[in-house]
Amino acid sequence: MSPPPHLAPSSGAAADRLFRLVTAGAAWLVLIVLGGAAVSMAWGGRLAFETFGWRFIASRDWDPVSGKFGALIPIYGTLATSIIALLIAVPVSIGIALFLTDIAPRWLRAPIGMAIELLAAIPSIIYGMWGLFVFAPFMAAHVEPWLTGKLGGLPVIGPLFTGPPIGIGLLTASVVLGIMIIPFITAVARDVFNAVPSSLKEAAVALGSTRWEILSRVTLPYTRSAIIGAIFLGLGRALGETMAVTFVLGNAHDLSPSLLMPSNSIAAAIANEFTEADTELYRSSLIALAFLLFVVTFLVLCAAKLMLMRVGRTHGRSQ
Amino acid sequence: MIELLERRVKEATPLALPAKIHVRDLDFFYGKAQALKKVELAVPANSVTAIIGPSGCGKSTLLRTINRIYELYPDQRAEGEVVIDGHNVLDPRYSLSALRRCVGMVFQKPTPFATSIRKNVAFALSYYERLPKGELADRIEDALRHAALWDEVKDKLDSSALALSGGQQQRLCIARTLAVRPEIILLDEPTSALDPISTAKIEELIHELRQHFTIVIVTHNMQQAARVSQRTAFFHLGELIEVGETSQIFTNPHVQRTQDYITGRYG
Amino acid sequence: MMPLRRKLADGAALLFALAATAFGLIWLVWILWTTMAEGAAALTPSLFTQMTPPPGGSGGLLNAFYGSAVMVLVALVLGTPVGIAAGTYLAEHGRHSRLAAIVGFINDILLSAPSIVIGLFVYELAVRPAGHFSGFAGAIALAIILLPIVVRTTDEALRLVPNQMREAAFALGVPAWRITSRIIYKAGLSGIVTGVLLGLARIAGETAPLLFTALNNQFWSASLAQPLANVPVVIFQYAMSPYDQWHALAWAGALVLTAFVLGLNLMVRFFARRGNR
Repeated sequence: MSPPPHLAPSSGAAADRLFRLVTAGAAWLVLIVLGGAAVSMAWGGRLAFETFGWRFIASRDWDPVSGKFGALIPIYGTLATSIIALLIAVPVSIGIALFLTDIAPRWLRAPIGMAIELLAAIPSIIYGMWGLFVFAPFMAAHVEPWLTGKLGGLPVIGPLFTGPPIGIGLLTASVVLGIMIIPFITAVARDVFNAVPSSLKEAAVALGSTRWEILSRVTLPYTRSAIIGAIFLGLGRALGETMAVTFVLGNAHDLSPSLLMPSNSIAAAIANEFTEADTELYRSSLIALAFLLFVVTFLVLCAAKLMLMRVGRTHGRSQ
Repeated sequence: MIELLERRVKEATPLALPAKIHVRDLDFFYGKAQALKKVELAVPANSVTAIIGPSGCGKSTLLRTINRIYELYPDQRAEGEVVIDGHNVLDPRYSLSALRRCVGMVFQKPTPFATSIRKNVAFALSYYERLPKGELADRIEDALRHAALWDEVKDKLDSSALALSGGQQQRLCIARTLAVRPEIILLDEPTSALDPISTAKIEELIHELRQHFTIVIVTHNMQQAARVSQRTAFFHLGELIEVGETSQIFTNPHVQRTQDYITGRYG
Repeated sequence: MMPLRRKLADGAALLFALAATAFGLIWLVWILWTTMAEGAAALTPSLFTQMTPPPGGSGGLLNAFYGSAVMVLVALVLGTPVGIAAGTYLAEHGRHSRLAAIVGFINDILLSAPSIVIGLFVYELAVRPAGHFSGFAGAIALAIILLPIVVRTTDEALRLVPNQMREAAFALGVPAWRITSRIIYKAGLSGIVTGVLLGLARIAGETAPLLFTALNNQFWSASLAQPLANVPVVIFQYAMSPYDQWHALAWAGALVLTAFVLGLNLMVRFFARRGNR
């Protein structure tokens, strides 16, 4: 069986190797970018880390004039806004997922699902503008006075709700952040709720379970890993969110227990101050903050991915 | 004792025509699991050989060793020889390109490429041969005629292949394979996803093609095997149990297991 | 008869789901309504014909629109081929390559990584050594944001191509690269295009990565080697300023940006849904 005479030159194997090399090279580039970003942040922050050492993380200082910088307030602001945002977003997302997978009539599911996904498509600077010009004044006029009035005097949680109702502050920023991460958690929840085998749900229905009982006793336990993964995903996004928070958090280097007071987050501090940072140490401190943010976000997103991989699903949308 | 008898029976049925493909001592492994055990089979030229047997007996696996398509998957491997026209094609030095040009394969599910009918047929052809436009068009028509599809698509060669019916798509896949003028055609359950009318058309096609090609067809439909093939090989659990003239296998099988399968004792 | 407690719990769950959905939708409507109302007030033809004005002056956003368009285009040119190539590697070798598994994992993390970190990275890479901000640095930052999106969607789109199609092509003896470029890409094309368009919508609205790379430019500049005006940073600066006219322009810019991004999103999703049917 010899090949016929006018056969095309067998450059197939060499071309295959080249193709594989090129695509593998592009794949390597993804790793290089992430690695490069990490290394670059570590390198840029080394002056700050060398100068302040471990105290950098625990220090409340932020004084460009005397050159003293500390990460505590930005870290606090970042964590506080993200956690409160999660407290808002997680129940809401699960509720929406329940609505979309179980309650809504079929024809309504796609449009409402798409509407919720649009929340993720809105650029964060738009959230910021709306937050600054519309939502913060709203909070200042209607919500915050009510909070200080009703809750400000109570023991334990009272100090959380004290201070002048300026609108800008931790609470407002947390709410905006919470809205922003709803679509990400909802997308995963919706996917995994739909993936619960209908035989399980039908069995529960046959036993006379109510909707709530199916959710709490069948769906949520079954999807637990994925939901936790989704929560980590939301957290990862919330930690790194910049523009929306920058507009409404206030860029104040004060540590106050009250949620109504302005504060600062890592991303907001960098966004607000980097172009004005005039000393090496100032810049380095900001980059050191970025490094800390990067590390924490990386770990959180890793955890999210691992949880979601367990279930065999990654976050449902490429956003 | 039974095995000795069975082996003697296997060798007792000589080929009337020269062997085009000779499978020698073939073992096949999916990872650690062995799917084919010491298979010895001679496939005569210019005829249709059917491979039958219950699910999982290794019939598709055997087919896939002949054109080495299993090499797409790193954990699958074959040991032994598959000799075509005197060359062992399992030898790693043997060009895959040359092999697959000579051995065409049609799969169970019709898989037209997401492009026009013309480009489907021309795809492999334009890789192997640099033909002037007119000759290319002739070869395409030739292939489509041999696949009994020309009349149905001659006016819409540039329309999407995905718009054809299931039976037409399968004949397009056959045309695609015929275009490069192979010598052997492997058919892996080619009609199991098709309706009876398309099935009949393709069986007719097989009947015409066998004059020019060596055809090996895997089928779980025994009636089909009886209709289209001249020789039939029965496999069970990775072993070749019996091979012989189709009429003999179906009317007077020598081995009990063959008889059991044919009479429907097990599926 | 079901005890009242269970009935109430069920009713509460129903109510909660409805309330949650309404909650989500209310914000969407509120934000979009605000953007439209405020932006429409400042939407004049001069928005597209005049440059960004000095403080307190009137003008338009022409240079910002231009700068954004240029940077986004360059980012697409840089990021799309790399993304498609990497996505191809993941799809075709994902099953048996360690590299592919690791890259897939890391890619998904990059997808959700803080964009301000990317901005600082490109600052260290392209702005510091050059000594000045530049539109090109901005484009690189946007390309890095685009990359994981294209990788992911290409990977998904190519994985959707049925394996049997691959086998049928291989059985014809054609080499792998030709199969991928002629058959696989064609089959997965709509998915890849969808991914690129969604990526485009995302990077068009990104602000943080541009803050330290392209910065902004008050004047007309077509040069990528200098700071380049762009819509998001202009909105940021104008909104944070104390000038009413700048606020109005910021809203107008926000409206155009939102309309573009959401319009693109809806169009892409609508056609993707149509195509799948």
